[in-house]
Amino acid sequence: MTRTPHLASASAACCWIPLFALRCEAARRSEPGSPPQPGALLSPEDPRRLWQVSPLARHAGVKPGMTVSQAIGLCAALKLYEPDPVHYDEQFARLLAALAHVSPVVEPTELGLAYVGTDGLEGLYGAPQRIVEAIQLRIAECGLRIGNSRVESAIHNPQSAIRVGWGRGKFVSWVAATRARPGEAVIVHPGVEGKFLFFQPLAVLPLDPDTHRRLRQLGLKTLGHLAALPEDAIVSQFGRTGRRLWRLAAGLTAEPVIGRPTPEPITATLTFFSPVAEREMLAHALDQLVARALRDPRRSGWRVQVVRARAELEHGASWLVEATLKDPTADRERVAAPLKTRLEQAPPVGAVERLAVEFTAFAPGTAELQLFARDASAAARAGRRRALTSVAQEIKLRLKRSYLYHVIEVQPWSRLPERRYALIDYEP
Amino acid sequence: MKTDRLRAINTPRRVEVELGAAGLPVMVERRAVESMGEIWRIDDEWWRAPIHRRYVETILEGGKHVVLIEDLTTGEWWVQKP
Repeated sequence: MTRTPHLASASAACCWIPLFALRCEAARRSEPGSPPQPGALLSPEDPRRLWQVSPLARHAGVKPGMTVSQAIGLCAALKLYEPDPVHYDEQFARLLAALAHVSPVVEPTELGLAYVGTDGLEGLYGAPQRIVEAIQLRIAECGLRIGNSRVESAIHNPQSAIRVGWGRGKFVSWVAATRARPGEAVIVHPGVEGKFLFFQPLAVLPLDPDTHRRLRQLGLKTLGHLAALPEDAIVSQFGRTGRRLWRLAAGLTAEPVIGRPTPEPITATLTFFSPVAEREMLAHALDQLVARALRDPRRSGWRVQVVRARAELEHGASWLVEATLKDPTADRERVAAPLKTRLEQAPPVGAVERLAVEFTAFAPGTAELQLFARDASAAARAGRRRALTSVAQEIKLRLKRSYLYHVIEVQPWSRLPERRYALIDYEP
Repeated sequence: MKTDRLRAINTPRRVEVELGAAGLPVMVERRAVESMGEIWRIDDEWWRAPIHRRYVETILEGGKHVVLIEDLTTGEWWVQKP
């Protein structure tokens, strides 16, 4: 695969949507007009524990990492959501695709947090304020579904959930984003980084809990306090990590945004022993080729946006169909579906000698996307969930209630059997 | 999902029990007790509504496997799935 030159940018815009997954889930289930409720998302790795917690639930003492039973004990009205990481990845991929329209240098860090390299964009947009506005506009237009009306939020439309920070290097832009109000931006102009960072709390540094505790025990509360100490003293206490922290706090480190080059088109081909005209066989071959192309290691971390099927026919003719996926995906069935529809609507005019599937455009994913949506198993999980959702909706439509239940552990350690598990209505 | 719609699973059900000379069940809802397994006692939640129970693992006539629970505070008998 040929790679485009290294994509890097010293100036950065940080786009941050706190509680991204919870917002996605709440937006999907929102019912206009219903009162705000405390909500929490269950952990994808351990469904007995909470992953993300809404501000109202946090106010009631509920914290991420708590068990469901602890959380219910603190907040009886807590609304629990089952996680759907594939959906969150899809939503985040939309956001990244929107950011890629502003700059080719986009670095996703985690769900809801991405950096945009802005070097050289002045010529297109003007001052940093204009670049930030262009980013906000693109995000607003991308159709991201993270609005939140049912679980409480100060934010009622997608763009207002996003905080943007601009500065030299990723750290300054991240701190600026954390200082921005929802829907607004904070710009740190070159030369004033040290002054800006001086009063910021230590918590903005990438600290492990132990280092954070030790710094606080030393009486250090702000980046200014840390930067005021001699660099050597910090290094002697905290080693290499200390040097990095000190330099970040002093505004001396500007880590660039590193973009990822988009993969070149990925192609999978199949030559038939004898020309094939049966549509069922061709549809099956399309499935196999899509699956093979998805397994290509270059595709890892990317979702397919444009897929194409080409066929060489008997007597030198050819056949070509192309589909642009509205929601980029790594799910075999969803990639193959439009090709198979076209195969039914406009089949090849002769028998096929050679069939090829080609992915020609991609939407970026995240590190978590690779973790959660790793191809076959994630696609299977997403497929099962969709099937279950559809059946549950049909039951609910016919019987007015879902009549489906989900077993959760409440107090699995209890000596009283009836306290260990409970049923809750299953509403996918 | 909403926590106010939580339903406990395997909640004990009240039963009529006929006791033998040893104070252990011999008939449960007109079905004879065929055999008994383990017997254990649980004393819990002394800090709120104290729970004092005796559990008797039982096979009823016909082979049904149940756990009988004697509430040692009220003397009532309950049945639960093992």
